[in-house]
Amino acid sequence: MQKTITEQNLRALIDLLVKKGTRVVGPRRAGSITLYEPLASGGELILGELPRRSAKEAFFPLCENILSFEKTTEGVKVADVDPSQFPETVIVGARPCDAAAPGILDAVFSWDYKDKFYLERRRKTTIIGLACTSCDDACFCTSVGLSPADPRGSDLFLTPLEGGGYACEAVTEKGEKLLAEFPQLFTDAEAAKALPQAEPAGEKLDLARIKSWLDGNFENPLWAEISERCAGCGACAFVCPACHCFDIVDEGGETKGCRRKSWDACGFGKFTNHASGHNPRDAQPKRYRNRIMHKFKYYDDKFGKTLCTGCGRCIRACPVGIDIAAVLEEISKK
Amino acid sequence: MIDLAKKIEAPATIDITAYAGATEAIRAEAAKLLTEGAVAAVIGYIPGRRNGTAIPAIVTSPEKAQELIFSPACVNNLALYLTRAKKEVKGKGRLAVVAKGCDMRALAGLMGESQLKREDVVIIGVACAGVYGSGADRDAPLAEKNIARKCRECRVHAPEGADVVAGSLPPLPEFSPVEAEELARLEAMTPAARWAFWKEHFSRCIRCMACRSLCPFCYCEQCICDRNRPQAVEATPRPAGNMAWHIVRAMHLAGRCAGCAECERACPMDIPLNLLNRKMARELKELYGHEAGLEPKEKGPLNEYREDDDQSFIK
Ligand code: SF4
Ligand code: SF4
Ligand code: SF4
Ligand code: SF4
Repeated sequence: MQKTITEQNLRALIDLLVKKGTRVVGPRRAGSITLYEPLASGGELILGELPRRSAKEAFFPLCENILSFEKTTEGVKVADVDPSQFPETVIVGARPCDAAAPGILDAVFSWDYKDKFYLERRRKTTIIGLACTSCDDACFCTSVGLSPADPRGSDLFLTPLEGGGYACEAVTEKGEKLLAEFPQLFTDAEAAKALPQAEPAGEKLDLARIKSWLDGNFENPLWAEISERCAGCGACAFVCPACHCFDIVDEGGETKGCRRKSWDACGFGKFTNHASGHNPRDAQPKRYRNRIMHKFKYYDDKFGKTLCTGCGRCIRACPVGIDIAAVLEEISKK
Repeated sequence: MIDLAKKIEAPATIDITAYAGATEAIRAEAAKLLTEGAVAAVIGYIPGRRNGTAIPAIVTSPEKAQELIFSPACVNNLALYLTRAKKEVKGKGRLAVVAKGCDMRALAGLMGESQLKREDVVIIGVACAGVYGSGADRDAPLAEKNIARKCRECRVHAPEGADVVAGSLPPLPEFSPVEAEELARLEAMTPAARWAFWKEHFSRCIRCMACRSLCPFCYCEQCICDRNRPQAVEATPRPAGNMAWHIVRAMHLAGRCAGCAECERACPMDIPLNLLNRKMARELKELYGHEAGLEPKEKGPLNEYREDDDQSFIK
């Protein structure tokens, strides 16, 4: 049975979840921007904006301790982090381009090595997705096979209705569980019409064709042409829902410290710097090429998936105007 | 006190018809330099895919030079591409660069630091009335509400010391100096409140290093913040390391920062870095009478040691 929920009840749902100790993450004002952050109450939820960073940090935090160590008189004591301590989490208001990302990332985090930090958080997370009714000129989800109304990756999916409120579609068991747990907040659907969904402007891209060009053009003058201007910052990777490279560092003092995992970016000059001093990606175009290859060829070769949901964040964030949608369009014409 | 309300009542739109002339002049000069073989490449701006955007371009042929533009979207400080952080570009040979007045200050600074020789670069200056601010409405004409904060207080609209100057200046409206006002507000705070202000902002820093990557003066081959044997500054985005990084950034740029505000523009987390830059610049001016980027100077006050330096603060 189709259900609906009013905006007021959606906020009440957050309050109830918070009250029972669930971590609720959703778009929230942080200074002058909006970020997916833990919500203290339903009133904090921002509904009309795409957060500056993606929702991936609910599974894959910007930085986390993976163990701690301490030098004692009996030797070095090492303490693991216990992932079973991670809280049950509900992400509210994830846009389709964010909700779809974990489904793509699961493959790499559970491949040769099972990343228990990611997987445990993932297991404990329920995603309430939200269809987009507006977009900007950087959005291109429809070009990479997604859409502003795509429920993929969401457990419960909300579609804004004319006159207010949302239609709720339980996509998975987790979503059904949520509906069943708070029946008082949902009503059986009336005939309200869905608001028209957003319409990103770009043409649909032929990803197979792009991949086949990438297969044969590791060396091509196009790379320099596109990315000599690249400043080699990490902005594109840090805002991306699908980028997942991380660094592991030991930090602390002489007697104790932590081993930490934190986001890294293939745009950084030192990303592939070897201990010997040799750097196979010794120029910016080689690094940018990796960004495109990884997203549209390597990940596809390995897992049959594309590492981009078309959220447009890297386009908005790039300080030198490198536009991945334009790059893909150019490649697809080759 | 400046009457902000009154200023907003009479929104000032800037006449940018002169930018079309600047575009023509840049194209002509770039094509000439490339045809004559005077330079290997011209660093300028071309339109981006999205409406009202422009992106840096490294142009090597007279044909491609016809794509060059100047518009309110030409926000980047292209001096970045003349630093050793951009070896691939510098390696092409003699370069020409399109520079707004504010970008000229970075070029002067780089010359002062022996990173660039005047004779190795052709400077195509542009008379610039202003560019868009971050997140500004790019469909609207350039006006009070979408002009960059730094442009509101610009004193170098007409670049000096360039080889040629493209375009001409329209009459310029007066804008209230929002950044100077914000700085005054900060300076009036108690040290504890100011500390809290920066702590709050730096807590949002994700250490993507876009601020460093876009700064023409962050050209160090080994930034102390990347060192890990031993580690000097925590590399992870956590409070201690974030604060340390921002102190290093402010101090190492004090007396060198050209005020282009590229660091702030690049920051995806909207951290008001240029406020800190301006504070440092103000201190340097008060303490040493030094202002960066006015002329190529070999050493800024914090990079120079003299035996008669005041040591009385060492206790
Ligand atoms: S590559 Fe860019 S558009 Fe694609 S998912 Fe990442 S940030 Fe979004
Ligand atoms: S593409 Fe843009 S955002 Fe990404 S590293 Fe290069 S300059 Fe930074
Ligand atoms: S650009 Fe902003 S978020 Fe990135 S390191 Fe600099 S201050 Fe931090
Ligand atoms: S610190 Fe910021 S304002 Fe100063 S020169 Fe560097 S990028 Fe420009």
